Amino acid sequence: MTSQEFTYPSTPRSVDTMLDDLTAVLNREAVERGLIRRMLLAVSEAFTNALIHGNGLDPHKLIKVRLAVNETDVVADISDTGKGGLNDIENKKPATPESESGRGIDLIKHFASSTSFTEGTDGGLQVTLTFLRSNKHTLSNI
Amino acid sequence: MDIKMRDEGEVAVLSLSGRLDLANGSTLKDQIKQLFTDGKTQIHLNLAEVEFINSSGLGALVSIMKEVRLIKGRLTLSNPASYVQEIFEITQLSHIFEIYSTEEEALSSFQVTPVRV
Repeated sequence: MTSQEFTYPSTPRSVDTMLDDLTAVLNREAVERGLIRRMLLAVSEAFTNALIHGNGLDPHKLIKVRLAVNETDVVADISDTGKGGLNDIENKKPATPESESGRGIDLIKHFASSTSFTEGTDGGLQVTLTFLRSNKHTLSNI
Repeated sequence: MDIKMRDEGEVAVLSLSGRLDLANGSTLKDQIKQLFTDGKTQIHLNLAEVEFINSSGLGALVSIMKEVRLIKGRLTLSNPASYVQEIFEITQLSHIFEIYSTEEEALSSFQVTPVRV
């Protein structure tokens, strides 16, 4: 098993940095291309939620991403230091067709094999996304 | 994300490449707003080289579409990679955007003949 942890400031540019870091690890571990796309999408959604709703785009607040790659699955933990937000996720209404936001959680649930949202005792939200390496919900390899 | 712009008659054609996410979505919105300021209301986005899009990028496109409607303009998209098209379909945004298989088809729909270089 390979496990790696990254820490980012809560700025919009961190999304690209995080995607570059995870892509490098996943390619090095020879993870399937379709799974990489699915993972990057779901993790970016959780990361963006942490950035905006958790840490309020405060660059002094950090987001941690831990990635564990096994033969059977890949697990990503995304945690912020914000104000939780578990209730917001549980009570989230579906985005309307012309909403400019509100699709992230739906995309996470579509592409991840399983999801877990946990509110820490000191605040902050930890999102754990598990992706089975043989999962059928694979974005195109093209 | 890289944005290349050119004019095809009355249509402003933007060829996007790279990732369309939170930071890059804002950049794209700013560039489109500048086009509005310049009097351009017919916009085409070629997505052929977009390698990644998430809900932030989709939100930016929805925002642009709504702005275009407000000024009575028109927005078309073309050439999404199959995985990008899949995300449009999962989110049901394929129903609200005009998405063409090729840039030529999209530009024809504006009744503009593309200039071949």
